[in-house]
Amino acid sequence: MSKKILMWAGVLFLVLSVSISVSAEEITLSVIENAVRDGKNHDVVEFYDAVLPRFEEYMADQGKNVNVELIETGVPDEDYKTRLILDLRAGEGADIMGFDQFWAAEFVDGGLLEPLSYFSDDWDEWEDWDYFFEGVRDMFEIDGELYGIMSGTDLRPVFYNIELFREAGIENPEEWQPESWEELFETARILRDELDDVIPLQVNAGEQMGEATTMQGFYMVLLGTGEELYDFGRGQWLGASQGLYDTLEFYETVYVEEELGDGGLQVQSGARDRTFELFQDERIAILVEGIWFWESVIAPGEAWGIDDRDERIGWAKMPAQEPGAGIRGQDFVTISGGGGNVPNPNTEHPELTLELLYFLNNYESKLDYWDIRGARIPARRDVAEHPIITENEFASALTESLADLTTRRPGFEEYPSVSREAQIITGEVATGSLTPKEAMREFKEAVEGIVGVDNVYDTYFNNY
Amino acid sequence: MEILSKKTAVLFILPALLLMFLFLIFPAIWTIFLSLSDYSLLRQTLSFVGLDNFRNLFSDGRFWNSIQLTFIFVIGSAVIGQNILGLLLALLFYKKDNIIKSITSNLVIVSWIIPSVVVAYLWRAFLNPDYGSLNQILNFVGFSLNVDWINTYPMLSIIVFNTWRGTAFAMMLYMSALETIPPSYLETADVIGASLWRKLCDIIFPSIKTYMGTCLILITLWTFNVFTPYLLTAGGPGRATEILPIYTYFEAFRHMEFGFGSAISLVMLMINLVFALFYFKLMKGDNK
Repeated sequence: MSKKILMWAGVLFLVLSVSISVSAEEITLSVIENAVRDGKNHDVVEFYDAVLPRFEEYMADQGKNVNVELIETGVPDEDYKTRLILDLRAGEGADIMGFDQFWAAEFVDGGLLEPLSYFSDDWDEWEDWDYFFEGVRDMFEIDGELYGIMSGTDLRPVFYNIELFREAGIENPEEWQPESWEELFETARILRDELDDVIPLQVNAGEQMGEATTMQGFYMVLLGTGEELYDFGRGQWLGASQGLYDTLEFYETVYVEEELGDGGLQVQSGARDRTFELFQDERIAILVEGIWFWESVIAPGEAWGIDDRDERIGWAKMPAQEPGAGIRGQDFVTISGGGGNVPNPNTEHPELTLELLYFLNNYESKLDYWDIRGARIPARRDVAEHPIITENEFASALTESLADLTTRRPGFEEYPSVSREAQIITGEVATGSLTPKEAMREFKEAVEGIVGVDNVYDTYFNNY
Repeated sequence: MEILSKKTAVLFILPALLLMFLFLIFPAIWTIFLSLSDYSLLRQTLSFVGLDNFRNLFSDGRFWNSIQLTFIFVIGSAVIGQNILGLLLALLFYKKDNIIKSITSNLVIVSWIIPSVVVAYLWRAFLNPDYGSLNQILNFVGFSLNVDWINTYPMLSIIVFNTWRGTAFAMMLYMSALETIPPSYLETADVIGASLWRKLCDIIFPSIKTYMGTCLILITLWTFNVFTPYLLTAGGPGRATEILPIYTYFEAFRHMEFGFGSAISLVMLMINLVFALFYFKLMKGDNK
C-alpha cells in the first residue's frame, strides 16, 4: 500500500517538475570569444559581464526568460579559428561568435555563414545602422551582403622604449621618427652596439605568429615599397616583384646580416606571448604592433603591463623604404584590420540571436565596450564622437596621423592561404634558411598553387 | 573433443570483428577515399583529384623534412631511449627487492601515467630559459648558464622528453620478461663462473628475444604516431621538430585540407605497416 502511494507521489513529482520547466520556457543563447577571465583579452569578458545582464533584463521586460552564456577560450587565434570552423561544419557552435574580419570571405565561400537577412526579414529595420561608418561596417560585407557587425578597426605604428633609447645615447628619444628604412636600421644599430642583452628591433616573421606576421610584419614592410599583396589594377596576386624582393631583403638585413633582431624568437612556439614578455622586460627596444598593444597588452595592470607606460613607451609611424616610396606615394604606411560579432546560422533562435547581436552593438553597449577595452577606432560615429574616444590622447593622436594612410587586406576567400605563404617565407628568411630570392621563388610557386598561374603576376623573374 | 562448434565460435568473435571493422578498418578505407579527394572543411564541394595529393606531398620539401625528423625521433626516443633505458632498468632491478627499486620503478611509472598536458607543461617550466628549474639547478651548482633549451636543442628536447615519458612501458615489459627465465639457468651459469656478458648473450637475450620484438613494435608505432611533442615545441622553432603527426595536424586542422591530411596519414599508415612487418620477420627468423 505505502509502496503504491510512494510511486504515485513520484509520478506526480516528475509531472510537476516537467510542467514547471515548460512554463518557464527558458531560452539559452551563447556567445563565444577568444577571451578568458583574468587572462587573454580579459577586458572582453568584462564587457560581457556588464552587458549580458542588461540584455537578460531587457528580455525579461518583454516577458522572455533568456539566459546568455559566454564561452571563454584563451588560445592562439589560429586555434580559435579552427574551433569555429569545426563547430560550424558540425552544425553546432555558439549563437554569436567573436570574429576576425578577414576570416569572413573564406567562411562564406565554405558555406559556413549566412547573411544577416537569413536571421530575420526585418534585419535592415534597425535604426542604428545609420550611425555606422560605412567603411568600417562594410568590412563584413561579402558580395553585397552583411554577415556581421564590426566592433571597430585598428592601425599599426612602431612602438619603442624611450628609456632604452636614452640609455643608448639617442638624442631626443621622445621625438624619434625614422623617415626611411635606413634610418630605422641606423637607430637599431646604435641600440645593438650600445646595449647588452637588448633586442633592438622585432618585425614579425614566421608561421608561429600567424596573421600577426602578415599584418604587423610582412604588410608593413611591403607597403613601404609601394606594393600590395593583391594588385587591383592588374586583378592579380603578387608572385614576384622588386618590392617583394626588397621586403624579404629587409628581413634578411634585420635578422641575418646585421642581427638587429632575433630570428629564432620569431619562429618558436608561443612566439607572440614571448615577444610581449620581452618587451615588458625591456629586452626589446622597437616593435611593430597594433593600436591594441597600447591598451590591451602593455597598459598598467594588463597581462604584460608596464606601470609607467605613458612616460616609458613612445610610438612612431612606420616609414616607407624611402620618403615617397610607399603605397600611393606615401612617406609612411600602415594597415587596418579589425573584428566584431557574427551570428551563427545553426542557431535555434535566429531572431533572438539577431536581437542579441544588435543589443551588443547599440550605443550604450559600445560605450561600455570602449570604456572597458580602451580606445581604438569604433565602428559607430556616435561612439567615436563621445569623450571616451575623443579625450583619449593616444588614440586620437594615432588616428589623426595614420587614419588617412591606411590600407586593407584584399577580401577574397584565398587571402588566408596566401597570407600563410607570406608567413612561411618571412620565417625562412628571418632564420637564414632561404635567401630572399629563393624565398620569393617558393612564394610565387605556392601562390600559383592557391589561386592559379593566371592570377599571379611576376615582374621580377620574368624580366631576367 | 570440440569445445565450441565453428558456428558458436564465429558468433562469439562477431561483436569484436564488428567493432574492429567500425573503428579500424572502415576509417582506414575512408582515409584512402579522402586522400584521393580535395575534401576541405572550407569548401562546399568535394571532387576527386586522383593522385594529386600524393604528387604534391612527395614534391613538398616540408614532407621530407618531416620524414627525416620522425625517423630521428623514433630511433632516438623509442628504439634507443625507451627500449634500452627500459631494458637497463629492468636488468638493474632483476632479482632485487629493495627500496631503491621500488622508488625508481614507481617514479618511472608515475611519469608514464600523468596526463600528457600536465607533463608537457611541467617540462616547459623545467626548460624555460628565464625561470626554468634546469637552468636554476645548473646555476646553483656553479655553471653560469642561461640556455633556452627547447629552442636551442629542439630535437634533443623532444627526444629526452619522450624517453622520460615512455620508458615505464619497456621497463615493465622487460621486468616481466626476465621473470620468465628459469632461475636454474642463471644459477648453473653462476656455478660454472660465467661472466655477466656471457650470461646476457647466452641466456638472457635469447630468452627474452620475442618480448623485445613485441616491445619494439609497440613503442615504435606509438612513438611514430605520438602528438605530445606538439605541446612542447608546436613543431618549432620554425620546422625543427615538425614530425609527421604535427605536419598532418597543421595541414588537416590548421588549414582544413582534410584531403591532403588524409594522404599524409595514409603514407604514415604504410610506413607503420613496413615497421611492423620488419619486426615480425625479425622475430620469426630468430625462433628457427
